[in-house]
Amino acid sequence: MASLIANRQAFAAVRAVATKAPLGYRTRNMATLREVQDRLKSVSNISKITLSMKMIASTKLTRAQRNMEKARAWGQTSQAFVDNAEVASEAEGKTLYMTVSSDSGLCGGIHSSVSKATKRVLAQHPEAQVVVIGDKARTQLQRQFANNVVLTFSQVGKAVPTYAQSCAIAEAIKTSGLEFDKLAITYNRFNSVISYEATVIPAYSEAALARAPQFDAYEVEDDVLANLQEFLLANAIHWAIVEGHASEMAAKRTAMENATKNATEMIDKLTMIYNRGRQAVITNELVEIITGASAL
Amino acid sequence: MSSAWKAAGLTYLQYTQLCAAALRNVVKADVAAAFAKRQTTPIKVAKWENGKTVETHEY
Repeated sequence: MASLIANRQAFAAVRAVATKAPLGYRTRNMATLREVQDRLKSVSNISKITLSMKMIASTKLTRAQRNMEKARAWGQTSQAFVDNAEVASEAEGKTLYMTVSSDSGLCGGIHSSVSKATKRVLAQHPEAQVVVIGDKARTQLQRQFANNVVLTFSQVGKAVPTYAQSCAIAEAIKTSGLEFDKLAITYNRFNSVISYEATVIPAYSEAALARAPQFDAYEVEDDVLANLQEFLLANAIHWAIVEGHASEMAAKRTAMENATKNATEMIDKLTMIYNRGRQAVITNELVEIITGASAL
Repeated sequence: MSSAWKAAGLTYLQYTQLCAAALRNVVKADVAAAFAKRQTTPIKVAKWENGKTVETHEY
């Protein structure tokens, strides 16, 4: 975001230079020419940075996508179980909400996508409790709904998210003593490289699983139920984190690509202005020399 | 089907993590290289009450 703002500022400055005075007048003093040159240098530096960030995001994206395919398979399998058992606790029981984002910025509206979805839910259920993963979503939710936040996680998904991390999160939720029948995990679903959307994965408590109408069909023994619930919870969280990570990398790639494109456009414009200014100075000097010579 | 790890006070996730760690320790060197690349940064957990952080720790 910082580079985008810098881009915009530089652009505004150029526009101000361009509109302040006609070309001939402007170029009479060398300072503005120097100004354009400095601006040109800084913009091309920014474009170099954004370009390399785009490259990094691209490589991370392919890896994240590969991981996502795997996590998705696991997540969908546990989801299939939940569907077949007809687990539902929409009407009765307490819902705990979870928002999955990350700590890093410079990736477009990816964090506000999930936090907006969460805000919509919180507006309807002012008493609801929220668990937030990632600093970005936390700061966004903190402004309005600080009282609803009960647990936050940070430094998740700095590198490729691992299952161990997801387990640790599931563990932390269990040990925190938060009670819920349903955990609604809001994450950015990876539609394609250019599109994502905030979606909810449900995860359920032991009691909610045991209550499910078709649950007996699976013949789960009582002491295994707790294991199953933990596993389903960790799976759901992992799925959300990994897919959210892939969406984030895709969004970062797009954002950095746009920033680079804008910077390149601006470099072209600035170069044009700079060259025109330089030529005008030369022409001016020539005119002065010629008039001087002819006056003799 | 009460298991020893449960009697020891471990949860299922902790148990699986321990098993996974044990497996990673015994695989051949060329396979282990792939695990070594996987860095595990500790995650930070913060507990909130009334809009304020009351407790933080790392995992």
